[in-house]
Amino acid sequence: MMEKLYLIARIADTRVALRSRAIHSVVTVGTPVEVPAAPPHVAGLFALRSRVFTLIDPHVVVGLPPVPVAPGQRVIVVEVAQHGYALLADEIEDVCFIDAPETRIAGKLLPGWARVADAMIEHQDASLLVVDPSHFITLPTLKAA
Amino acid sequence: MVKPQFLGRTDTAMDDLLNDFLAETAEILAEAGGAIVAWEADPADRAQLDAIFRLVHTIKGSSGFLALPRVTALSHAAEDALDQVRRGNRQANAALVSGVLGILDRLGDLCTALGQDGAEPAGDDREVIGALAEQGAAPDASFEVAGVPLRRDDDFGTELQSWRSIRVPLPLLDSVMTGVTDIVLARNEFARMLRESGADLSVIASFDRLSDSIAGMRQSVSQMRMQRIDKLFAPLPRIVRDLAQDLGKKIAFQTSGGEVELDREMMENIRDPLIHIVRNAIDHGVEPLEDRVAAGKDITATISVSARQSGNQIEIAIQDDGRGLSPDALVAKAVAMRAITAAEARALGPKEKLDLIFRPGFSTAAEVTAISGRGVGMDIVRANVEKIGGIVELRNEEGRGLTILLRVPMTLTIISGLMVRAAGQYFAIPRGAVREILLEGGDTVRIDRVGGGELATVRGEQYPLLRLESVLGRGRHHGDDVDDRALVIVRPGQGQSYALSVAAIHDHEELVIKPAAPMIMATGLYAGTTLPDNGRPVLLLDVQGMLAASAIDASEAGRSHDRMAEAEAEAAAARNAAQLLLFRDTNARVRGVRLSVIERVEEVPASALFESAGRVQAQIGDEIFPVHAATAPGGEGSLKLLRLYDGQAVLCYPIAEVIDIVRLPDAVQPSAAPGLVAGVVLVGGEPVELIDPFWLMEQYAVGAAAATALRQPLCRLADDHDGWGDNFLAPILRSAGYRVISGDTPSDEAPDVLLCFTAEGARSRDAADGVPVIRLRSSIAAAGPGDDTVYRYDRQALLDALRRQIGGQVA
Repeated sequence: MMEKLYLIARIADTRVALRSRAIHSVVTVGTPVEVPAAPPHVAGLFALRSRVFTLIDPHVVVGLPPVPVAPGQRVIVVEVAQHGYALLADEIEDVCFIDAPETRIAGKLLPGWARVADAMIEHQDASLLVVDPSHFITLPTLKAA
Repeated sequence: MVKPQFLGRTDTAMDDLLNDFLAETAEILAEAGGAIVAWEADPADRAQLDAIFRLVHTIKGSSGFLALPRVTALSHAAEDALDQVRRGNRQANAALVSGVLGILDRLGDLCTALGQDGAEPAGDDREVIGALAEQGAAPDASFEVAGVPLRRDDDFGTELQSWRSIRVPLPLLDSVMTGVTDIVLARNEFARMLRESGADLSVIASFDRLSDSIAGMRQSVSQMRMQRIDKLFAPLPRIVRDLAQDLGKKIAFQTSGGEVELDREMMENIRDPLIHIVRNAIDHGVEPLEDRVAAGKDITATISVSARQSGNQIEIAIQDDGRGLSPDALVAKAVAMRAITAAEARALGPKEKLDLIFRPGFSTAAEVTAISGRGVGMDIVRANVEKIGGIVELRNEEGRGLTILLRVPMTLTIISGLMVRAAGQYFAIPRGAVREILLEGGDTVRIDRVGGGELATVRGEQYPLLRLESVLGRGRHHGDDVDDRALVIVRPGQGQSYALSVAAIHDHEELVIKPAAPMIMATGLYAGTTLPDNGRPVLLLDVQGMLAASAIDASEAGRSHDRMAEAEAEAAAARNAAQLLLFRDTNARVRGVRLSVIERVEEVPASALFESAGRVQAQIGDEIFPVHAATAPGGEGSLKLLRLYDGQAVLCYPIAEVIDIVRLPDAVQPSAAPGLVAGVVLVGGEPVELIDPFWLMEQYAVGAAAATALRQPLCRLADDHDGWGDNFLAPILRSAGYRVISGDTPSDEAPDVLLCFTAEGARSRDAADGVPVIRLRSSIAAAGPGDDTVYRYDRQALLDALRRQIGGQVA
């Protein structure tokens, strides 16, 4: 059943669905600590239960200008290659069970989105991109800057 | 170290016992394998043998308790054989060692099966045990690994001490550590609230006590995770031995720096990469014997693994003296594999060419061998190391060897950190790299702008100046007070130092360092992250990386040590036995002698050489040594003597100057007859006569033995009324190697001979205490045919008489 569970959120100004098994938790952050000289999509560091997480700004990953982090903003915590990351979310909508199958992406996406999207899924009369959070973390190290 | 694959279910108390046994056995097997190889290299090493015996005995004991008949039988057989050796009933040879290793392997297999099934599988071990049975005259044809100085004996002692330990699952340890860190954060929060609420002093005092014990606990928990890195090195000698044997290569394997401490988890992550690199070095790096000979290399290849702490990193170097990497061959291979196109290949720089070996699926070997070309490539090695925030570096010298450096951050460790501020936020600097802290506006500091760069001069010493804000690409923070600006003199590594200018110094703190995300580590400026007591993450600066990022040469003038040269020197020292000291002898001929027979080179005044009894001797300090020379040079000035030492006697060989120390070439053209020159070798294309120390020592064996004998014969001068003995005779006697005391001087020691100056008394032997007596007469003519006195100015007759009486000990 877990496979059918999705987190619906608005990240980088776009409503997307994230597979719930890829997600650790959703938390709020205070003011992150900046990381000078880091790639532009690194929005900073913050601590959660004595672990340090790296905050990622998805706007930069898909090619938009960065947005400042607002105190109390919600972030999606994921774990990639044993490091903790958090994706800044514009809005967290819901965790819901979607019975519809994931389908191949139809149509042409912006290059930034094409990199992070895996599939599409139909939910409440809207087509959502299914994105893999790990793509937000790994790919920009090759392309950014 | 817990080998995860051995760990099975943990349902019952029995399973717990079994798991403990498996974990302990895995550890012992790794340890014993290495120890046995070291012992094989030096079978006389009794301590090593005893240690191995104890290890095997431990397995046997625990297995009996758990009712594992096969394990018990196997360990019993090994214990039995080792005990025979201990009792001197059996010789240690390669067959025995291979047999014991075979048993250890079978034990390892059984443990793996035990871990999976929870029960000992049925099977037959007669073959393995039989291999250990004594064979009458087993031909000892197997290959020998040339010297494996695994560890010092004292290391081994401490290792055995550490067996007194209990096993705790890693996740439990982690949760304790996280828990303690959370407690610390909660304490800080609580402390702030206490201060704000204005609680009374007794509450604050008891809170402080709590606070102290929390700090102590945090320290202990962190130490629980640390382990000496030689745990990681322990299985390597065995791997090297087996592989060298399989491939018919001769390899000397060394490890150093085993005392460096590393986090256990980090260690697990380096284990496989390290083993892989060592296997690669043996399989691909080290050439076959004939190729090494053709390349003029020592037949025995050297592979060394060393660990050291450098700044805030731990550096593990795996160095071999094999063929190194050929960038062109790598490119050809990559093109053939279609990993890159020919056009891309042309665009590659030298470093990028080498980096091709990190491509997935890339194997440097022309053909895939059973040993290393198995798909576990350098890409996996790099991925593993990068996972913990480390980097892999290659230092290649084509044809001469390859060094692979694994640099891992000292993360997950507790270090003492200096907190500094710059650009409005805090950063940590490892305290160990900080040499001095000064106020930038202080009297002792002068800052000069030179050609766009900045230079700090502190008490006459100059340092390149880095401003932390500019390194980080940030501007100065508006809130910073210029008066607070401080200089931190940083010494990131041996022979390097620079001044780092920061906005303010905050304080010292014990910090738990964890790796930062890969893209943050990739900036090269940070060595990790840490969570200080205020709960806000702080970045640990990479004091070495900042240098690289700023492209500043921070080597201290006159003190810069090329690390490669250092490593070279170390490797050279390890090969002492096969090294040749080149020198120019007193006739300006270039000759060589094995370095290992030279005790040292002495510089003595020419007057220290003298002739005595037809031989040249040298007085060095208060000792006298024979010298290989026809005549004493005499005159002023000084000369150099090579002191040859064969373990008992010393012989001095005069030379004009030392030229060089080179590796002893493999090809020696022996001379036809034994003599001073054992043969001729070519060094740098020039023929060099090789001195035969054996022949030399033989020539001087008698004299040398006397010279180094603890006791020189003692002459007592009796009845020396006019002082002639003291003034005229004693110097001659002393120079001939006797000690002299005059009649009245008391002495505990019975003299070997008595010299009497009066001709009274008829017998030449003092009946009372059996001391021979030589009588000296003043008249040149003998009194008669029975007169055995010696004319006192007849030097030769006197010395002859002494020699007769004492038994010719002195030449």
